[in-house]
Amino acid sequence: MSATIAERTPARRRRRSNRPVWDEEPSSVGKAAKGLFLLLYAAAILIPLWAVLATSVATEEALLEGGGDMVFLPTEVSFQAYREILSGGAVTRSLLFSLLLTAVGTAISLALTVGAAYGLSRPGSVWHRKFLTLILITMLFAPGMYPAYLVVQDLGLLNEMWALILPVCFSAWNLIVLRTFFMTAIPGELIDAARIDGAGEFRTMFKVVLPMSKAILAVIGLFYAVGYWNTYFLAVLYTPGLETKPIQVLIQQWLLTSGGGPTGQDAAAAAAIASGMENAPAASLKMAAVVCTIIPIVIMYPFIQKHFTKAVITGAVKG
Amino acid sequence: MAVTAGPAERAAEAPPKTRPPGSRRKPLRHRLRRDWPLVVLTVPAMVQLAVFFYTPSAYSVIAFMDYSPYRPLWENPIIGFTHFQILFEDPYFVDALFNTLQFAFAQLIFVFPISIGLALLMQSIVSTKLRSVFQSIVYLPYFFSWVLVVTVFNQVLGQDGLFSRWLLGMGGERLDIMRDPDTFMFLAWMQWTWKDAGWGMIIFLAALASINPALYEAAAVDGANRWRRLWHITLPGIRPVIVLLLILQLGGILSVGFEQYQLQREMVGWGTSEVLDTFVYYRTILASNGESLGTAAGLFKGIIGLLLILAANHIAHRFGEQGIYQKS
Repeated sequence: MSATIAERTPARRRRRSNRPVWDEEPSSVGKAAKGLFLLLYAAAILIPLWAVLATSVATEEALLEGGGDMVFLPTEVSFQAYREILSGGAVTRSLLFSLLLTAVGTAISLALTVGAAYGLSRPGSVWHRKFLTLILITMLFAPGMYPAYLVVQDLGLLNEMWALILPVCFSAWNLIVLRTFFMTAIPGELIDAARIDGAGEFRTMFKVVLPMSKAILAVIGLFYAVGYWNTYFLAVLYTPGLETKPIQVLIQQWLLTSGGGPTGQDAAAAAAIASGMENAPAASLKMAAVVCTIIPIVIMYPFIQKHFTKAVITGAVKG
Repeated sequence: MAVTAGPAERAAEAPPKTRPPGSRRKPLRHRLRRDWPLVVLTVPAMVQLAVFFYTPSAYSVIAFMDYSPYRPLWENPIIGFTHFQILFEDPYFVDALFNTLQFAFAQLIFVFPISIGLALLMQSIVSTKLRSVFQSIVYLPYFFSWVLVVTVFNQVLGQDGLFSRWLLGMGGERLDIMRDPDTFMFLAWMQWTWKDAGWGMIIFLAALASINPALYEAAAVDGANRWRRLWHITLPGIRPVIVLLLILQLGGILSVGFEQYQLQREMVGWGTSEVLDTFVYYRTILASNGESLGTAAGLFKGIIGLLLILAANHIAHRFGEQGIYQKS
């Protein structure tokens, strides 16, 4: 702050960074404070994740040495815990179930969202305003938990995988983002040209509009996918009796209730998950399951990152 | 659409002044013939909304009934606002409502500014490479489920967690932050920040990027220093986004979420972590005879949310901001 512009005239400064010429160099104290804060913030996010990863590959001896539950620097790396949980037990089944849920759910969500976004992207088409109003209302009000439960029950979906998909498969927010994209980023001339060439609406959509929207479709699909992968609340609400549980429910039953739950059934459920996995330390097994739950997110993450700013801008800023 | 006269006559009689200029409205039959593919594409989403949004919304009448799940809906006697009265005399509900408001305001006051601050800090990093690395790290936990967030926190701050171990190693005593009801608010704040501050940061960064850089240059040339540029250019530049997010947060003030509180209910005790959503869940889905009461609580929440979002939007319009929807 103390540095004035006069002290550092642009001509004298060697331009090593891409800081604009008119911008004064911040004081070194300010710079250090800023760097320290961001470093600590990043550490607060990364250190816990590192500890989870380190524990998942730790051996029995390393865990004992570290005092029991978590290690920070494993002396020896062993993938035995992963072998155990991925060899067909309860964890494997839950992971596969969640993968299936994610794949089916995302496909249905994308189909509904793309259809509606394209169908509503032509102002002046029949019932266009009525449909939009019906969608906008859903952004203002939320029906209660019990009435929603009642509908799922009436449809006979309780304890079915569909109860985790159908009630949440369409999001008005994603629709608005995609519709805005169709209306602003696809030139109307292209659609007119397709029509003059004799293409119907479906053909125009599949051959002209969708190929130009791959990036945003990927982002919206990934957002839906993350939602399905993270399914927990709906599973607690609608599918408590499901034999193979979504992975998030399994993690909760195994890791967040085993510390002495009030009811015996929690402990029994946790014991059932861990049964048959005796060749690796319990802490490593649990952390390996956590890592397996994080991995799909980390795999999807770069794709989201690549295009998310664009999606956020169309969605949040232009509205 | 009640079409009594023949379409052709209607089109002939229709006064042109009500139509938008340039698009002479054709009769419904013609427009349907022209646009049926668009309607067909839209209908599946509308069916989803009809079944999973509008039907449950209509089922909210249960709140006004002496409801029993063992008889058809229309045979339940309507008893008016009795359940709302019971609700507000129920200390558990009042506690849950109070907790909800407390958590919501804490989120608004203590997490929102962190997002803005992070975005400003991030923007002031000149090196693009460093910036994208930090951005990726800070944004990552937003995609984690609450189950993962609570698990990771438990591993670090729980009884046998890293932090306790470190304290023991330093000659101190174990500290179990995860199970202490008195510090739950602080714990919840750490969790919100850890999980969601990055998301807010991304939105504000996008807003910051849309500010014309020439404004900064002109201000700097005119002698405005860093702080004046922040005050006169940056903050007004991102004001629409701040207002938008505030409106959305206000609308959701009674729905602070279910998962975070349900997951930690056992650890900190249900009195501390009870919010409206968990109240409804434990009172209606898991308890018997609570259907009407739970529906009343849900309806109360929905209507307050609706009113808040409309009011906030109205105020935003008053102050010349866009809000979430334009006046049409």
